[in-house]
Amino acid sequence: MRTMAAPRRRRRGNWAPLLFLLPAAMPLAVVTTYPILQGVWLAFRNTALATQENAFVGLANFRTLATDDLFWNAWRHTLIFTGISTLLETAIGLGMAIVLSEYFFGRSLVRAAMLVPWAMPTVVTSKMFGWLFDGQNGVINWLLRSVHLISRNIDWYGSTHNAFGTIIAADVWKTAPFMALLLLAGLQTVPKSLREAAMIDGASAWQSFWYVRMPLLAPTMLIAGMFRALDAFRIFDLVYVLTGGGPADSTEVLSTLSYKTLFSALLFGYGSAISTAMFITEALIAVGFGIFIVRNMRRGA
Amino acid sequence: MPKTTPTGRPADTAGRRDFLKVAGLTLGAGVLGLPRRARAADRVEISFAAAKWYGKETIRELTEAYNQSQGKVHVTHIELPPPSSSTEVHQALVQQLARKNGAPDVFTQDVIWISEFAGAGWALPLDQYVSAATRTEYFPGLIQACTYQGKLTALPWQVDSGMLYYRKDLLEQIGAKVPETWQDLVTVAAALQKGGQAKFGFLWQGKQAEVLVCDLVEFLGSNGGSVLGPDGKQVLIADEAAVQAVQFMYDTIATSKISPSDVLSWDEEPSRRPFTGGQAAFLRNWSYVYHIAQDPKESSIVDKVGVVPLPHFPGAKSAACLGGYQYGVNASTKNREAAVDFVTWMSSPATQLHFATDLGLAPTRPAVYDEPTLIKAEPFIHSLREVYVGATPRPVTPKYSQVTLALQSAVSRALASGDVKTELTAAKTRIAAIVGA
Repeated sequence: MRTMAAPRRRRRGNWAPLLFLLPAAMPLAVVTTYPILQGVWLAFRNTALATQENAFVGLANFRTLATDDLFWNAWRHTLIFTGISTLLETAIGLGMAIVLSEYFFGRSLVRAAMLVPWAMPTVVTSKMFGWLFDGQNGVINWLLRSVHLISRNIDWYGSTHNAFGTIIAADVWKTAPFMALLLLAGLQTVPKSLREAAMIDGASAWQSFWYVRMPLLAPTMLIAGMFRALDAFRIFDLVYVLTGGGPADSTEVLSTLSYKTLFSALLFGYGSAISTAMFITEALIAVGFGIFIVRNMRRGA
Repeated sequence: MPKTTPTGRPADTAGRRDFLKVAGLTLGAGVLGLPRRARAADRVEISFAAAKWYGKETIRELTEAYNQSQGKVHVTHIELPPPSSSTEVHQALVQQLARKNGAPDVFTQDVIWISEFAGAGWALPLDQYVSAATRTEYFPGLIQACTYQGKLTALPWQVDSGMLYYRKDLLEQIGAKVPETWQDLVTVAAALQKGGQAKFGFLWQGKQAEVLVCDLVEFLGSNGGSVLGPDGKQVLIADEAAVQAVQFMYDTIATSKISPSDVLSWDEEPSRRPFTGGQAAFLRNWSYVYHIAQDPKESSIVDKVGVVPLPHFPGAKSAACLGGYQYGVNASTKNREAAVDFVTWMSSPATQLHFATDLGLAPTRPAVYDEPTLIKAEPFIHSLREVYVGATPRPVTPKYSQVTLALQSAVSRALASGDVKTELTAAKTRIAAIVGA
């Protein structure tokens, strides 16, 4: 009898924690897991609202995707955008964070003000960037002309050579302060005593930064970089408002392409295949960062 | 105009009133009071989903005017988002019509959705209700846009189209006539640019967006070309007329330089601002620009602006890309006669006159343009009659929403690279695959 009762009690004990997870798991399942699965399921169908088609087509959507130049064009742009903007934002953000970690008059005011560009809705900032970078009457061209850096107006959005770079610049401008704040938080976890010890040992400012603060900042930087990269991968508003993907598809990214396919053309099947491809790419990026972070932490430990 | 609905509620509580109506009908109890039930009982109830419009009067008030004008049909107005949110309006309509439960009985639709809805079998063909003689009372371009595979599946409501804005004062200064052909326009624009009177010769919209297709249809149409053949299957975008037209668009930037390369990223507003700021000689845009150009707060060119039909290529006629919303009747409606009676009233000359004077919407019947009340209240609309005669629909195909994306990409590529023939040939293959030729 005793041998029978013991496992039963243990089993009941094992269920309890899962039961407590239920309230958290339920909303997650409803708002995250279900839509993702639904999206993946649609990717295997030819669902289109206007023609009322809705049949299982197997891998047909993915076969089309594999040979769709517009998709790979957007895929390439999205990866380039993610890579360059994340690198620049981390580098510039780090510089800003180091300055802001020193004491100076009005520091708290500057720190608070830095959140403003990040806190504004991107559609609003996009419109502002549209005016700033206007090719004919924009402030940027006027400034560059005033200091004689350029002799003729630069066509920031209308040229296939510049449009993508302009969008990256606008994103860096908008998001670098946010990275700065994350990294500033990281910098403040570095104990002051370590820097003081380094100074007493005769380390130069550069040595104390590179060998003392940087290694301790690395985990924060990797996590912040991962967040930023995953966010940058979904770039939509800036492109949609400023160029609509043009000229000549030179700024088309996966989010704008899937929006056009899903909501303008109402091709839910093919659009979901694009979204699924996006999801897979994004998961790979996350795994890449994850490996780096784990390695970094092991080395630290 | 009565400010309340038959229930006695203020006219602006759309969602709640619809909900109450449904609740009232289901419960059958006197939720809404007796007078209302008595009315509803002897009238046919239909619903009318219309995109939001602003003006002295609302569409709801006009719907009420119809309800007052006769005793057989009662129309409930359902407000959709304004046309500026056209993606949302489109989605809302597609979702409702796809249910095929007869609601809404009547709706308003952008011209570019007409063949999509007709192709899906959601729009009721109106041929037996609208005689051939009646159809000649509308602008021909509108009837063409409302016709799918030989059947009239929509009834014209209002029209807008591309038109040429020009600076009267600048043309006078150099003694130039208003251009009738594109070559004339290039000559005048280049002269004004060279003489320093205008920074830009000619502004249009080349942003990779729907507006690029509108501009394309105009250049193409004014050279006798088109994107699709009359059957909606034949793809003509790589034909000589099309290549010439797109080459001309490219040349305005690259060769004659009357347009800055910025037009490749400009839609309506970015191209409008330099014009009303006095920097440009010519502008292609829609009718809304006129009121801004005449507003001293927004414009430095008040009373210096003229509007004419767009120029054309030698031997062809001017073409103006047709825009605007039109009526449709749900094919699944259970009250066909009532729905048709309502749209006929809405599309009648008297109602169109009302829409013109109170909401500023241009009539689709040429005859209404000569009504004295319209000439007095809206002289600008009166002056546009000649522009709308050339109104040309965008490609008529149920797959339009996919065709337009392919066109936007291809034409934008052609304008950026100058390799017109190659890009248009690629577009032909892509579009042929979409329309299934």
